[in-house]
Order: sequence, then C-alpha cells, then structure tokens
Amino acid sequence: MKLGTVIGRVTLSVTSPGLDGARWLLVSPWTRDTFIHGLSDGNQITSESSLVIYDNLGGGIGDVVGYIEGREAASPFVNPPPIDAINAALIDKYFYTPRE
Amino acid sequence: MQLARVEGSVTSTRKHPSFAGWRLLICQPLDSDMEPGGAPVIALDSLGSGMHQTVLLTSDGAAARKAVGDEMSPARMMIIAIIDESQEDQ
Repeated sequence: MKLGTVIGRVTLSVTSPGLDGARWLLVSPWTRDTFIHGLSDGNQITSESSLVIYDNLGGGIGDVVGYIEGREAASPFVNPPPIDAINAALIDKYFYTPRE
Repeated sequence: MQLARVEGSVTSTRKHPSFAGWRLLICQPLDSDMEPGGAPVIALDSLGSGMHQTVLLTSDGAAARKAVGDEMSPARMMIIAIIDESQEDQ
C-alpha cells in the first residue's frame, strides 16, 4: 500500500463494462520528502505523477489515502472490473521517524 | 522480495475490513548499498517488527490474502521476515 493525497475527483462518461457507478479519486502519490517534510506548505501535489484510484471508502479532496496498485486492486469484487488501483484505507495519522 | 527498513506506522479506522487488527508499518525500501531507495510503502506486519529494523517485504497478494484470511482482500505488501544482518561480498 502506498500513501497519497486526494487532489481531485474524476467523473467518467463512457466506461467499459463493470466500471459504471463507481467513484474515482485523483491522487498525488507521496515521495520520501512528503513523509519527511509533510505537506505543510499547502502544496498538495508532489513530484510523482498523479493517478486515478477506485474508491468505495468515501475519500474526499485533501484526505490522505492508502492505495494499492496492481492485480490485487481488483480482488475485492465478485466479478473484477479492469482496475489496477484501489483506495484501501483512509489514513488518520502517520508516525514517521527515519533513521539518519 | 525487497529489503526495507521500518521507519514508522500509520493508523486508519476506515479501511478494507480484512486489515482490521493488522499493524500497518511504513517501510523504506533499501537499494543495494542499504540506502533509502524510492518512496516508503505501507506493509502489513504480523511479526512485531521494531522501529528501524531491516525487514523483507513481499508484494505477492496471494500470500497476503492467505495471511489476512480473506480471498477478496486487496492486501499486497507484507513483511515476511526480519533480517538479522545481511552480508554482501565486498
């Protein structure tokens, strides 16, 4: 699972089957700097390229989410949709003490 | 598998039910000379890994799903071993 900040929401118009009615979040992935310096300077967007994740936990803009990429993202479905990133956790707090 | 160093933890109340009760540790992947490489990832831990310990991460979802006991869990990164010390041939 990786951390990222929700910076937007995505609405799909034409989708492949199995994707309609889903909720999509635009997420900016955290880098090591984000863990160390946090997002205090109000800048929610990191240097990593953003991605869209499937969401059924109700993440909102500004939330920190734990998302999972790869085939495992489609595991929690009876008939898996063609997705490769899913919101697995809304993060309350993180405690980070890197060893210098 | 990937060598990583435990550098923190996260708390989450609203998450996939299969993660309930699991420790979620922030693990910094290490490159060949044991220096931080890439962004930290969050891994499930059942071994009681301590802060700044070197651990072995797997990204195999099948093993993680078995560990959490839910075949429909999105679980993926998991700590499968705590490393005592690693020798590299100089």
